[in-house]
Amino acid sequence: MPRWIPIFIAALLGLALGLVYGWRIAPVQYTDITPDVLRIDYRTDYVLMVAEAYRVEEDPMLAAQRLAVFGSEPPALIAEEAYDYARQTSYPADDLSLIQELMVALQAWQPILGTNQP
Amino acid sequence: MTVKPTLIASLFALLVGFGIGLAYAWVILPVQSVDAQPRVLRNDFKDDFRSAIAAAYASNADLERARSRLDQLGDPDPYQALSAQAQRMLAAGEPMESVQKVALLASALQEMQPVAIEPSATETPVPLNTPEETGQPPDSETDTAETPEPTTEAEPVSTSAPAMTTTPRPSRTPTPTLGAPYQLVGEDPVCDPELEEGLLQVVVTDLSRRQIPGAEIIIVWNSGEEHIFTGLKPELGHGYADFLMTPGVAYSVRMADGGTPASELSAPDCTTTDGEPYVGGMRITFQQP
Repeated sequence: MPRWIPIFIAALLGLALGLVYGWRIAPVQYTDITPDVLRIDYRTDYVLMVAEAYRVEEDPMLAAQRLAVFGSEPPALIAEEAYDYARQTSYPADDLSLIQELMVALQAWQPILGTNQP
Repeated sequence: MTVKPTLIASLFALLVGFGIGLAYAWVILPVQSVDAQPRVLRNDFKDDFRSAIAAAYASNADLERARSRLDQLGDPDPYQALSAQAQRMLAAGEPMESVQKVALLASALQEMQPVAIEPSATETPVPLNTPEETGQPPDSETDTAETPEPTTEAEPVSTSAPAMTTTPRPSRTPTPTLGAPYQLVGEDPVCDPELEEGLLQVVVTDLSRRQIPGAEIIIVWNSGEEHIFTGLKPELGHGYADFLMTPGVAYSVRMADGGTPASELSAPDCTTTDGEPYVGGMRITFQQP
């Protein structure tokens, strides 16, 4: 057997071990993340908070500003995604109603151009 | 004892391969963070979350739900985190209504804690305001589910499923009163040579004598007016605020939300044990009925 073969196999084995260790055993830990990578249930709960506040405040602009933490996605779309998830996962009817109310308000809301809108 | 050169070379190749693999997995193509939890959010986004939690609490008065949500942020002490945020918001000049909602939730949480923080009379506070100034769902452990970028090579893919849970149902308890008028319950001269001369200390509490952060106090004298806020010196109490009085000037102090004012306040004349005269201070307490 040529001498380089065991060396090559050892190198491949080391590479594989390094990948397994770096991806599986001790992967990079993220901190200081942005809300757009939150798990869908957390996102939905945040939208629910905004919806709860909206029911009293009745200020779609403020609600849209709060939803802007998720990035440049239209706030109505964010609310819609949350509503879909909440419906699929059988959120209580009251909560569904709150999110729906917010979703409808944001769909009808037209941001004023020229101002700081999300 | 002799070791074969091939074995040494193989071991070296193994280490080099491991190093390359590690560099690839950690630096070149690290796992991507998706399906993350709120506790790993950047601090400013955690502030956004706390504000949203406070706004929702101001609407539904459901403290259990608010607590459950605050737990998701992983703060060691949610009350301290809220108080500190209220102070940051005050300092940043954010709308008072938003600050009050955060402060209200902090106060509600504090009511669930057994001991209220009182400012120590022996501490020497540094005055913040002087007349010269013109003038702030689910509950689980942190583990970012990780999914590498799709490539043609074999890569680790995490398939952790989202928890199908919701936060507790609102109980529709009565909404705490925002802006209820305060009563003046204490007005005492303070002769302590350790304190700054003319120091006016104001403490604002609720009915349970728990201190209220973010409360606005208006101080008026014959040639000016100053607005100060409680909670900017948490080490002295979350309902504490202070102001430096000029000797010989009469001040009127009241809460911005209304209530009984303290009038004709002035720095008292005091004497040390050695008979040396100095200017003392005042300590007044407002309580929300």
